[in-house]
Amino acid sequence: MQTPASFDYERATSVEGAIASLARLGPEARVIAGGHSLLPMMKLRLAQPEHLIDINDLEAELSYIRDEGGEIAIGALTRHVDLLKSELLAQHFPVFRDAEEVIADPVVRNRGTIGGSLCQADPAEDLSAVCTAVKAKAVIRGTDGQRVVPMDEFHVAPYMTAVNDGELLTEIRLPLFPGAGSAHEKVERRAGDWAIAAASAAVWVDRSTIHDVGIGLSAVGLTTVHLKRAEELLRGKPPSEELFQQAGQVASEDCSPMADGRGPVDYKRHLAGVLTKRALSRATARALKQEA
Amino acid sequence: MTATDTLTRAIGTPLARIEGREKVTGEARYAYEYQPENVAYAEPVQAHIARGEIRSVDASETLAQPGVIAVIWNENAPKLADGADAELALFQSRRVAYRGQYVAAVVADTQEAAREGQRLLRIDYVEEPHDVVLRENHPKLYTPEKVNPSFPAHMEKGNVEAALASAAASVDVTYRTPAFHNNAMEPHATVALWQDGDLILYDSNQGAPAHRDAIAGVFDLPPERVRVIAPHVGGGFGSKGTPRPQAILAAMAAQMVERPVKVAVTRQQMFAVTGYRTPTIQRMRLGADAEGRLTAISHEVVEQTSTLKEFAEQTATATRVMYAAPNRLTTHQLARLDVPTPSWMRAPGECPGMFALESAMDELAIACGIDPIELRALNDTQVDPEDGETPFSSRDLVGCLREGAERFGWAERDPTPGVRRDGRWLVGTGVASSTYPAYRRAAQASARAEADGSFVVRVGAADIGTGARTALTQIAGDALGTSVDRVRVEIGDSALPKAGVAGGSMGTASWGTAVVRACEALRAKLDDNAELPAEAEADTSEEIEQQKKRARHGFGAQFAEVRVDSDSGEVRVPRLLGVFAVGRIINPRTARSQFIGGMTMGMGMALHEESVMDAAFGDYVNRDLAQYHVPSHADVQSIEAAWLDEEDDELNPMGSKGIGEIGIVGTAAAIANAVHHATGKRVRELPIRLDRLIECA
Ligand SMILES: Cc1cc2nc3c(=O)[nH]c(=O)nc-3n(C[C@H](O)[C@H](O)[C@H](O)COP(=O)(O)OP(=O)(O)OC[C@H]3O[C@@H](n4cnc5c(N)ncnc54)[C@H](O)[C@@H]3O)c2cc1C
Repeated sequence: MQTPASFDYERATSVEGAIASLARLGPEARVIAGGHSLLPMMKLRLAQPEHLIDINDLEAELSYIRDEGGEIAIGALTRHVDLLKSELLAQHFPVFRDAEEVIADPVVRNRGTIGGSLCQADPAEDLSAVCTAVKAKAVIRGTDGQRVVPMDEFHVAPYMTAVNDGELLTEIRLPLFPGAGSAHEKVERRAGDWAIAAASAAVWVDRSTIHDVGIGLSAVGLTTVHLKRAEELLRGKPPSEELFQQAGQVASEDCSPMADGRGPVDYKRHLAGVLTKRALSRATARALKQEA
Repeated sequence: MTATDTLTRAIGTPLARIEGREKVTGEARYAYEYQPENVAYAEPVQAHIARGEIRSVDASETLAQPGVIAVIWNENAPKLADGADAELALFQSRRVAYRGQYVAAVVADTQEAAREGQRLLRIDYVEEPHDVVLRENHPKLYTPEKVNPSFPAHMEKGNVEAALASAAASVDVTYRTPAFHNNAMEPHATVALWQDGDLILYDSNQGAPAHRDAIAGVFDLPPERVRVIAPHVGGGFGSKGTPRPQAILAAMAAQMVERPVKVAVTRQQMFAVTGYRTPTIQRMRLGADAEGRLTAISHEVVEQTSTLKEFAEQTATATRVMYAAPNRLTTHQLARLDVPTPSWMRAPGECPGMFALESAMDELAIACGIDPIELRALNDTQVDPEDGETPFSSRDLVGCLREGAERFGWAERDPTPGVRRDGRWLVGTGVASSTYPAYRRAAQASARAEADGSFVVRVGAADIGTGARTALTQIAGDALGTSVDRVRVEIGDSALPKAGVAGGSMGTASWGTAVVRACEALRAKLDDNAELPAEAEADTSEEIEQQKKRARHGFGAQFAEVRVDSDSGEVRVPRLLGVFAVGRIINPRTARSQFIGGMTMGMGMALHEESVMDAAFGDYVNRDLAQYHVPSHADVQSIEAAWLDEEDDELNPMGSKGIGEIGIVGTAAAIANAVHHATGKRVRELPIRLDRLIECA
C-alpha cells in the first residue's frame, strides 16, 4: 500500500491567508488543489512536502470563468469539468472543450484544476499546450502583490514554473481578439491517457489571411513546446492545407521528444506533424465558421 | 428427486451476485481490512541488482527510526523448510536471483514508519553480470521435461519437413509476444497472526486450502495448524493461484515480533514478485494442399523462466487440439534467465499460443485464397488430432464460427486488404478461433439441512470476483430441489471441505461436482426421514478418476472490426463479438462478464499491454498502470458475447465447461487479423503499437 510521508495540513480560508502561510512556511510548503498530481507524487515519495495548504475552500475567490471585456478570466481553482462545460469558453476558445474531452476521466476532471495542471508543469499536460496556443497570461500573487506572466515565461523547466515560494497562481487570462478559431488534437495509447503527442492551435484570421497564430505541443519536449518558427511561417499568409502541411513539417523538426513506452522518437515527431496540421486546419475552419 | 428438479432450475438463470450488496456498500472485507489488535506492519525491501549476493546490511538508521521494531534479512531470518518453493524461501540465502526480489523487510508499529525504515535500509551487494533478454538463439535454451502442468514439451507425428516441402501453400513466420503482468484490482495482501502455535492468515488468494498446504509446507507445520481465510478477493487472473512471498513475510514477521503483522504488496512490487506471462517467440509453419486441407502444423516456442525454478508455459498445447493434419510438431524451449519466475496468467499457454496459430491460419487463408472461416471449418476434427482417436466429449467450433459469421455480417466481407476507407480511417474485420480445456479436479463438499428448512453448503472454493459463490448457490439449489434463497454457500476458508483453486477454468466444474454429490447424499438421507439438522459429505476423487477418456474442451470464435487512422496509426475497435460453445451456462449474467472481461483483456494484449525489459538494469521498466497500459471503458465500444446451447453429459453433473479463460483466447489474433485486413500490414509482434503501423523512420 502506498502512503505519503507525514505532513502538516491546513485549510486556507482566504487567498491572502494562503499566501501568508506559504510565505511563512517557505520551500517545504505546497498548495494542494485537486490533489490529482500532488497526492500520487507524495504516495510515490517523489514529493515530500512538510506542509500542505489546502485551497479547496477558496472556490468563491478562485473558481470562475468570466468575460471581463477584452479578456476571459479563469480562476486558478476552476476544475476541468467547469472548463469542459463552459459555454463562454466554447464560444471563444473551443480548444478548451476539445482538450477537456480527452483529459483523463470524469473522476480526475471533477477535482483537478487548471491551476494544478499548469503548476504541475508536466510536459505532457494538455492545458499547458492549450494556454500556450491561446497566448494566455498567468496572474501570480505573493505578499508583495501580483505580477502577470506570459505562458512562455511560465514554464521555466520540467516541473518548474515561474511561481516562486510564497506565491500562488490565482488566475489565467485569455486575451480576446476578433476572427479567432482554435482546436486541440491528441493521440493517446488508450482513452483518457496522457498524450503520446498533442497539438493545440489558435488562429486569428483577418480578411482571409492569418493575422496571428499560436501553437503549443504536449509530450514532445522537456516542457510544453511553443512552435515559434511554425507561427512565423504562418503569420500573414492565407490559410491553406499546403501551408499547414509545411507547419506540420516544422513541428516534426522543432519538437524534441524522448522514446518511452508511448512510442519511439521518430513516431512522435511524425505524430507532432500530423497533429499540428490537423489542429491548424480545424482551428482555421472554426475561425472561418466552416467547420464540418 | 424428479418432481422438484423441474420445479426449481436455478441453473441457467441470471441470478445477481449474492454478495453484490456487501461489496458495493464496502461491507465485504478483503484481506488487508482485517485489523487484529496490536497489529504491526512489514514492508519488504527489494533487491537493487539483478544477480549477485548481499555483502552486508546496515540497519542502524532504520532501527533508529521511531516505530521500527525489527529488520529481517538472511542473517536473522528463521530457517524455513528445505525444498520449499524457491520463490517462497524468503531470506534463506544471500543470493539475489532477480531485480526486485524481496531480500529484507522492516517491521514497524505503523505502515508509515515501516515504509520510512525501508527507505533508510542500506544494502551492499556484490553484483554479477546479468542475463535477462530472451532471444531465439539464446545459448541457454533447453527443452524442459514437461510443460505446465504435465504435458510433454515435445510432440511429433509424421514428417513435418517433408509435408511442408511438398505443400501447395504454406506459411513460415515468427510471432512475438512480450511479457505481460497480471494486475488484479486488489494487489496481494496478507494479515498473519499466531495463536498458540497455530498460524492464521487473512490472505488474498485463489484457493484457501491449496494456500494453507503450501504455506504449512514452508513453515514445516502440519496443515491442520494453519488456517487461511479469504472470503472476498479482488481478482487474481492466476497471480494469486499460488502463495506469494508477502504471505510468507507476514507469517515470518508475526512469528519474530510476536504480534500480528500486515503486508500489502504495492502495485510497483506486482511487476516483480507476483508472477507474469513469459514473453514468447513462436515460429509457426503451416502447410496445406490445393484445397486448403492442412498437411502440416508446426509450432515451435521459445520462452523464459527464472534461475530459481522452472515454470514452463504450455504455449503450443492448444495447437495440439485445434485442427486436423497428418504431420505435426509442437515444441517448447526455455532459457533460465536472471528474471522473476513467470507464472499463470489468464489462459497460460492458450492465450499467447493461439495468437500465433490463429494469426498463421489467417495468413494461410490468404495464401490459399480461401475465406478464413472456411479454412477453419475445412480442417475441423471430431477426434483428438494428436492420437487420432479420442473423441471430443463435444466440439462445436464450426457452429461458433457460423453463428458468429451470421451475427457479425461476415458474408459481405471483401477479403482484399487495405481497400476500405472512411475518411482517413482504414476499416477491416478479422476472425480467430478460441479454445480452452474443460478439466475437473477432485474436491470435497458438505451439505446440511437445518431445522428451519434452510440449507448450508460448504466447500473450500474461492470467489475471486467471478461470481463463483453465486453459481455454486444455483447448483446447490437445483441439487437440493429448493430455491436459492434457502441455500447459504460457505467458501473462502481452508477450514471448509478441501477443494482446489480457482484456476484452469475448472473451479465451478470441480467444486460444483462435489456440491451436487453432497446435496444428493443429503437428499438421500432426508428421503430416509433423517432427523434435522442432517448433514452429508462428498468426495469426488473416485468419480473423477473413473471418468471416461475423452478430449474435453470448450471452443469459440472471435470477430473484430478495427479502424486504423492512416496518418497517426491509431487503432480503434468499434466491434468485438465472441461466440462460445462451452456446455451449459450456469449463470448468463456472470458468464457474460467472464467472456467480455476476457475479450477486453485480449484487446489489451493486442493493443496496449507490454512489459518492457531494461537490459541494462535487468528489470521491467513499467511498474504501474500509468506505464503498463490496459484498456479503459472508453476503448471498448461494442462488445458482445453469445453462446450456443451445447449439451454434453460427459463433463460433470451440471454439463458445464469452464468459461473464465476462453474469452481471452483468440481475441488478439482476431484484432491483428482485422488490422491486416484494414491496412495490409501484418504485425507479428504484440502489442500492435501505433508506430508499428506507421513507417516513419
Ligand atoms: C489518472 C490521471 C490521468 C490524467 N490524464 C491527464 C491527461 O490526459 N491530460 C492532462 O493534461 N492531464 C492529465 N492528468 C493530470 C490532471 O489534469 C492533473 O493531475 C490535475 O489537473 C492537477 O490539478 P490538481 O488541482 O489536482 O493539482 P494538485 O495535484 O493539487 O497540484 C499539482 C501541483 O500544482 C501546485 N498547485 C496547485 N494549485 C496551485 C496554485 N493555485 N498555485 C500554485 N501552485 C498550485 C501544487 O502545489 C502541486 O505542486 C491526469 C491525472 C490523473 C490522475
